[in-house]
Amino acid sequence: MIKIRDLEKIYRTEEVETVALNKISIDVKEGEFVAIMGPSGCGKSTLLNILGLLDDPDNGSFLFNNIEVANFNERKRADLRKHNIGFVFQSFNLIDELTVFENVELPLIYTGVKSGDRKKRVEEVLDKMQIMHRRNHYPQQLSGGQQQRVAVARAVVNNPKLILADEPTGNLDSSNGNEVMTLLTDLNEQGTTIIMVTHSEHDARYSHRIIRMLDGQTVLENIMV
Amino acid sequence: MFKNYLKTAWRSIVRNKAFSLINITGLSIGMAASLLVFIVVQYELSYDKFQPNYNRIYRVVTQDKFDKDITYNAGIPVPALKALRAEFPHIQFGALESAYGSQITVPSGKNETGNKFIVETGLFFIEPQLFEVFSYQWLTGSPASLKDPNNVVLDEKTATKYFGSWQEAMGKTVLLDNTVPLKVNGILKNVPANSDLPLSVLVSYETLKQNGGAYNHFETWNTTSSNFNIMALLPANVKMDDINRALLQFSRDQYKPLQSNSIKTNFLQPLSSFHFDRRFASFGDHVTSKSTLLTLSLIGIFIILMACVNFINLATALSVNRSKEVGIRKVLGGNRSQLFGQVMTETAVIVCLSILVSLGIAWMMLPYIKHIASIQEQLSLFTLQTVVMVVSIGIIVTLLAGLYPSFVLSKYNPITALKNKMASAGVRGVSLRRGLVIMQFTISQVLIIATAVAISQMNFISKAELGFNKEGVLILNGKSDSISLSKQTAFKQQLLQIPGVQSVSFNNDAPSSDNLWSTNFGYNHQPDEKFQISLKFTDADYVKTFGLQLIGGRIPVESDTMRELMINETLVKDLGIKDPNEVIGKTIRIGRDQWYPIVGVVKDFKTSSLREDIKPVVITTRKKFYYCTGIKIRTQQLAGTQAAIQKTWEQFYPEYAYSPQFFDENIARFYQQEEQLSLLYKIFAGLAIFISCLGLYGLVSFMAVQKTKEVGIRKVLGASVTSLLQLFSKEFTVLIIVSFFIAVPVAWYMMHSWLNNFAYRIPLSIWFFITAIAGSVVIAWITVGYKAIRAALANPVKALRSE
Ligand SMILES: Nc1ncnc2c1ncn2[C@@H]1O[C@H](COP(=O)(O)OP(=O)(O)OP(=O)(O)O)[C@@H](O)[C@H]1O
Ligand SMILES: [Mg+2]
Repeated sequence: MIKIRDLEKIYRTEEVETVALNKISIDVKEGEFVAIMGPSGCGKSTLLNILGLLDDPDNGSFLFNNIEVANFNERKRADLRKHNIGFVFQSFNLIDELTVFENVELPLIYTGVKSGDRKKRVEEVLDKMQIMHRRNHYPQQLSGGQQQRVAVARAVVNNPKLILADEPTGNLDSSNGNEVMTLLTDLNEQGTTIIMVTHSEHDARYSHRIIRMLDGQTVLENIMV
Repeated sequence: MFKNYLKTAWRSIVRNKAFSLINITGLSIGMAASLLVFIVVQYELSYDKFQPNYNRIYRVVTQDKFDKDITYNAGIPVPALKALRAEFPHIQFGALESAYGSQITVPSGKNETGNKFIVETGLFFIEPQLFEVFSYQWLTGSPASLKDPNNVVLDEKTATKYFGSWQEAMGKTVLLDNTVPLKVNGILKNVPANSDLPLSVLVSYETLKQNGGAYNHFETWNTTSSNFNIMALLPANVKMDDINRALLQFSRDQYKPLQSNSIKTNFLQPLSSFHFDRRFASFGDHVTSKSTLLTLSLIGIFIILMACVNFINLATALSVNRSKEVGIRKVLGGNRSQLFGQVMTETAVIVCLSILVSLGIAWMMLPYIKHIASIQEQLSLFTLQTVVMVVSIGIIVTLLAGLYPSFVLSKYNPITALKNKMASAGVRGVSLRRGLVIMQFTISQVLIIATAVAISQMNFISKAELGFNKEGVLILNGKSDSISLSKQTAFKQQLLQIPGVQSVSFNNDAPSSDNLWSTNFGYNHQPDEKFQISLKFTDADYVKTFGLQLIGGRIPVESDTMRELMINETLVKDLGIKDPNEVIGKTIRIGRDQWYPIVGVVKDFKTSSLREDIKPVVITTRKKFYYCTGIKIRTQQLAGTQAAIQKTWEQFYPEYAYSPQFFDENIARFYQQEEQLSLLYKIFAGLAIFISCLGLYGLVSFMAVQKTKEVGIRKVLGASVTSLLQLFSKEFTVLIIVSFFIAVPVAWYMMHSWLNNFAYRIPLSIWFFITAIAGSVVIAWITVGYKAIRAALANPVKALRSE
């Protein structure tokens, strides 16, 4: 599903040049659950952003479902993204002005789903995440774990083939964290590809494969048994 | 999608209550102000447009070129009418002559002398042909109703006022100025108020021909009265310039034989300039200069621009806080145009709310504006034009205020946006915001300076040394028919019996007025001088009654005819003479009359409004022209004295309406336009300051939020409250100073040219400018102060934790 080769990302400011990704090459097959680990600043988030088509690489090739997307313009990337990829962030990133229901509904609005279908779909997902009873609450009225469940709900509502999660449990205590990990595992079992950045060895154990990074390169891959 | 935009827009308005309130307040006040300006300007521009032949109607006016200056007159000598008809047979001409302050007596069963009405303006002697030039609607009758002498046509409201209903009025007889009987022979539908020809009592022109002497209507080429006008309707294919060229030759032929000391030329004045050309007197209630309308429109535009500036300022400032939301939307697949649409929708919602509020404000203010702009007619808020205006303001403001913030927001890179690292976007925003604040303060300071100058000039005028006494002088207008004149001596005797009356003077004119009687003259047996003098005919008590001061010689002796003259200092100076006593005993010839001796010189007094220089004046006796009675009264027991004067008047002149005027009120009327303008400046300056303070307050509140952490850290490190206040105020003070230097030349230029309208004016002192900057700094500090103090006093621990 994902095939990147010699991908480079370099941040230039006036004084310094930071090589965030240094000719990195990775493959991810459909249905895989991959964890990315590494010390702070090694380029994990940068990689995830590029995989999520939020950012473009400076060099190298990126095949998404066998299509070269490394030089897509913003419009094409947004189009591909909204139909195929869901995101979960460490800091939840819910819109404070919208209710739980409306937050989850948002991706469906952007992909142009009709209002009746949207309602059905959102309710289904909220039910699955066991957050239905909070549908009319605003994000600030929820606990961290609940907020992250809403974020996961929002990530999957479009039935994306790929979910990218950047430290999804970083802001959660262990029981809430485990709950989210279980959700992700369930989704993976139903066929969704998952790529997750994490600092926690415990969380990484939920995955099939761990990619360890250092200074913008992969240094090690552990296949889980 | 749109519904979703609306929903989020509404939520974000509610969430950012303070900002929304500031925006809506600013925008709605700005829009209400410009809407009202629009209504007034639109009304002024609509004058006479209801005439179907608007573009083909002209007035044949007169230019008089002297050695030194040129004068203009809306009138034309009476014989020109016949000559023009002969010379230009293809043009339709129509003449009319206005009479001011005439009296109409309506017979009444109850009152022996009838009901008396003074027609201040609106009484015209009219040729039937005038209705081929101007079009009016008739309720009954036709232009032919004015064919014969002693006929009158009334408009509906006057007929109703006189007789109760217009049907009742038809066929009745009224008396004009107690001498001329007139039969009501037709009724005109009321002429719209936005007309420079406010016809209400229309007397047939033939009546004037038969009574010419009483109305100074003479068939001579050497009198030009602004009351007698000739209107012309050009055929569709004839150009004004061609006729003007022909009129040049016409004038040469007609005026050459007169051998006057000036060159007279007739030319066409288009109807479209009747309301705006101050060179010509208007029959309507006022003339508005186009530059005043332009100033007003500009101010209206500025006010709304300032409100938009607030909006942009606050929205860009807020957008930093919104970056997270924008980032999320982008990650979830929202593309640029959708985000753009969303921010624009939010702007549009705020603009729509503001429009609603502004309509409310405008509706409440309309009666006051009507009063300030002295508009007679009922103004309505909801005409096609205002609706179009409101909709276009709405669209323009949405675009102006929304485009930039939408652009900025939709451009955000989602990753940086999520990190809330708006460094790059922030810096650009700051310089833009500074620019906008400078613009706002420039506008406010220009308006503060304009207001201060206008108020001082108006003060100066009301306190100016006029050279006569305007307080406590009552002026009664009468007629100078022989019966009235014969009663004058007895009338005066009786008035002087009233304890409150100090002195009484009969004359043709107050010392200061707009109706000047001017003529050519010769001095000391020389040929005619190259300039004209103004004439005043007064009795010997004039000097005492109006408090004039004699600086040489004596007052002319009482006489029924012209015998001795008194002149003013300006005339002495204009004759090139240094010592006033030198002219005493010398002679002056007025017009083609004989030589009369000068017996006195009077200290200069203002002969008209302070816009104009003092004119050279000759004061002499001539009972025939004593229409006015000036009465100097003591200010104690004013009411009793006035009642006694009225009783005396009614006893002597029962057939004349009693309509007293206070001299100082007449003088105040000279400056009505200036007073209105200075009031408008005050209002708009207040609004401008308010709107810029709103914006400043918003920005500072935002800054306070942004700087919470910085302030917290600084406090922990030991910063004093004063130094923190400086942190907030330094930037704004600098911006105000920068805008001051932009405002100074603009305001200087603007007010310098305004003051040039006055012959007597205050200097543009540096204090006006100092007031403006000191005022703005103080107001800004007050605005900023509260927020800044709160931020500076806040508990630093709390501030740091909240980050
Ligand atoms: N916008 C940027 N401009 C300049 N340098 C950047 C930018 N974003 C990231 N970097 C640099 O690129 C490198 C990789 O950053 P990245 O955020 O991918 O690290 P990370 O592995 O996700 O770290 P963490 O575990 O702390 O989240 C870092 O050295 C970072 O300083
Ligand atoms: Mg990271």
